[in-house]
Amino acid sequence: MNLYKYASPTAFYPLAGKMIPWFAIPAALLFIVGLYVGFFVAPIDAQQGDAYRIMFIHVPAAWMGMLLYVLMAIYAGIGWAFNARLSSMMASSIATTGALFTFISLVTGALWGKPTWGTYWVWDARMTSTLILLFLYIGFISLQASIDDTRRADRAGAVLALVGVINVPIIYFSVQWWNTLHQGATIRILNKPTIVPKMLAAMLIMLAACWLYSVAVVLIRLRCTIVEREQNAARFAEAT
Amino acid sequence: MDWSMGGYGFYVWGSYFCTAVVIGLEVFSLVKRKRACSHQVKEDKQEKVRKAESSYVAQAR
Repeated sequence: MNLYKYASPTAFYPLAGKMIPWFAIPAALLFIVGLYVGFFVAPIDAQQGDAYRIMFIHVPAAWMGMLLYVLMAIYAGIGWAFNARLSSMMASSIATTGALFTFISLVTGALWGKPTWGTYWVWDARMTSTLILLFLYIGFISLQASIDDTRRADRAGAVLALVGVINVPIIYFSVQWWNTLHQGATIRILNKPTIVPKMLAAMLIMLAACWLYSVAVVLIRLRCTIVEREQNAARFAEAT
Repeated sequence: MDWSMGGYGFYVWGSYFCTAVVIGLEVFSLVKRKRACSHQVKEDKQEKVRKAESSYVAQAR
């Protein structure tokens, strides 16, 4: 099987259509299971009471915001370096979902901050760098929308995405580098997690659901982008 | 489950409500865009068929 043929937007279009239900249906099921485990199985936290249950949406949304930005930058970079149209379209399709997850993480973080810290917002390193991430997403989307020539828009977006990727490790390590109000990482790749397994299970299920949901919506948006751009290209070719 | 969330109901349910609204808006806007794209694809197919038919008729003449 020649996988390179799927680098062409027109060849990838039907494949993306077939892939969408394989991500959307498990995402919906995992959201239901994750919420059930989070609200009915996971115990009450000894310090924060039930307020901690915001974590089951806040943490996956924050992770998705960062992960999607890195992915967006990789796709934008590939599109720029190799003039791969599908990669650039993928980067554009990821941006909106990444921005929405970052927005969700900021809103839910503020709603979690009030009962635990006594304030909705402080200019703390983690929160400020996450807000910058949201501005980077908005900047990427606005920049691409402001340029009519899609190739030029992709190149400009790629530069912004690649420069902005430096913000992701800053967000991740901000709680270690600076003295922040935001708590440190509860789950680390190399160390044992410090939360109850039932809480961890709910969070990981919600993370998987968010991940599958993101793939599904990005593929739907990508298919629309392919149609719109190919149409524009065809009309432009006809007109000239 | 305690639906009042031990007095934190506004914050907990508010978080999930905001998330549901944002995700709902994304899905709604995508469905709208997808419909418009599908419509465009259908129109283009019909246009291609019309062009092919007219060129066939022209050749036959």
